[in-house]
Amino acid sequence: MRASRAVVVVGVLLALATMPWWARDQYQLHLAALIGVYWILIAGLNLVVGYSGQLSIGHVGLLAIGAYGFAILTGRYEWGPWWALAASGGLGSLCGLLLGLPSLRLPGFYFAMATLAFALIVTEISLAQGDLTGGGTGLPVPGFTAPFDSPGGFHALVLIVAVLITWLTWNVARFMWGRALIAVRDSVVTAQAVGVPVFRAKLLVFVLSGLTAGVAGALFASLQSYITPDTFVFELGLFFFVCIIIGGRGTIVGPLIGTAVLTALPEIVAPLARWSTFFYGLLLLAVVLLVPEGIGHMVEIVRARLRPRSLASFAVAPDAERLARCLRSEPRR
Amino acid sequence: MSTLAARDVTKAFGGLTALAEVSLEVAPSEIHGLIGPNGSGKTTLLNALSGYYLADAGRVTLGEADLTRVSVQRRAFAGVARTFQKPRLLPTLTVVDNVMLGGWPAVRSSFFGTALSWLRARREEKVLRERAEELLHGVGLAPVMTRRASLLEHAEQRFAEIARGLMAGPRFLLLDEPAGGLTPHEIEQLGVVIRTVRDAGIGVLLVEHHTDFVFRLSDRVTALDLGRVIRQGTPAEVRHDAEVIRVYLGA
Repeated sequence: MRASRAVVVVGVLLALATMPWWARDQYQLHLAALIGVYWILIAGLNLVVGYSGQLSIGHVGLLAIGAYGFAILTGRYEWGPWWALAASGGLGSLCGLLLGLPSLRLPGFYFAMATLAFALIVTEISLAQGDLTGGGTGLPVPGFTAPFDSPGGFHALVLIVAVLITWLTWNVARFMWGRALIAVRDSVVTAQAVGVPVFRAKLLVFVLSGLTAGVAGALFASLQSYITPDTFVFELGLFFFVCIIIGGRGTIVGPLIGTAVLTALPEIVAPLARWSTFFYGLLLLAVVLLVPEGIGHMVEIVRARLRPRSLASFAVAPDAERLARCLRSEPRR
Repeated sequence: MSTLAARDVTKAFGGLTALAEVSLEVAPSEIHGLIGPNGSGKTTLLNALSGYYLADAGRVTLGEADLTRVSVQRRAFAGVARTFQKPRLLPTLTVVDNVMLGGWPAVRSSFFGTALSWLRARREEKVLRERAEELLHGVGLAPVMTRRASLLEHAEQRFAEIARGLMAGPRFLLLDEPAGGLTPHEIEQLGVVIRTVRDAGIGVLLVEHHTDFVFRLSDRVTALDLGRVIRQGTPAEVRHDAEVIRVYLGA
């Protein structure tokens, strides 16, 4: 099971890394890079939504901040793209902190509204601060330096960053912090009982999501090569959210597949591009109604159906001696 | 010898006084039974000790430390663990993952530290998993270790919660009606677990309606009625107290 998973991961990575050599055209490369950029944001957002259960629909605001930060620093202040990329990540996490501090104390629905308001405010500021952001006309965005200036090179850069970010979020998700976040999501009372600092956990994960959104924003701006306030419409924030819901809560691979499918969908059904929003809606409806756990849990569900493990009850039979031995050995405190 | 104690704790909800100057002390290596009719304040007292309610007046102490204003989390770190009347496991996690969560106070990896220095987190993980598996063997849940908690039977959930409570090596374990919904056989097994916990030096507060079980198991018993202590003493003393018989046990 473990080995086969590793084989799949290595295989997919190899396929993606060699894409510049087998892709049919530049557009496919562009699309793959776009999926990667979206995923960098969603990987962080997934810890917020899928793990800690905080329903942020306003991460497009953090994406915009990263993107404008990158465009302004590289264009106006002529920073190198690498410094600007790092600064965008820092700016994203700072804004995540400032947004999270007041809003993460709000109960679910109100928190979602606060993130929505944040996204709207960012759009308004980008329109109003014309000197800095170019207002409604927007800003051109410089690219990266060689060898990352070609479509193939940029694709490689996005892939490297995406793998790194995925690895960071996987480390959070698979160890104790992941359990703590799920406790925050499913039972705050339980989280408290075992000592999880609920607010701090929510805030830390939100700051991390700000970092990934900021980095994604910088790469997104560079990929688009020109940004305007219209690039960061509210629907994009909703799109990120939907990718996670369709992918399933509490998994990483699910939202990853969700991101890839939903980003590529309008292209796959190219003749029906006008209908892409309709397809989002249809897919969302189908998933919510048919597999509410999300496609990330589908393998689990199918396996459970095919091989219903016997849930034969057994008599709970404590082993007092073993328990006593275990209790005498203090855990590391 | 450091005890977990409520001293003259008062707690009111609106006009209703749930606890009126209640004092109770749980010593290490002691099973302290807490009985009383519905609404007498048993669970309120347990919540005051574990920090879910802050006392309006009076103090909660653990040894020399004053816990009166301290959060639930800091009390967990100080060594106070508890279970719930209705078991609260995380349904999507496996049983062993649920038990591991109880080891949170032993975790040293910071959030960003875990993200970056995964080797340390993995070492911690290994130690925690081993202990969780040992505890599950100990309470008799080894066969369901890898099952999702949502698939557990009621009795299994109760034992899993106890294992989670023991995970961090607590000094006191507060059990809120652990025998509720168990068969007589399962109650016997529960007794074995609770005695083992006590013999390991942990103080146990046992809030329970099964009075036979409480009297059989406890070293000391406190009886509450309408938020007041009506009798405190050995099981025999409390069982034969006229007031306790009148308000709770019946003739």
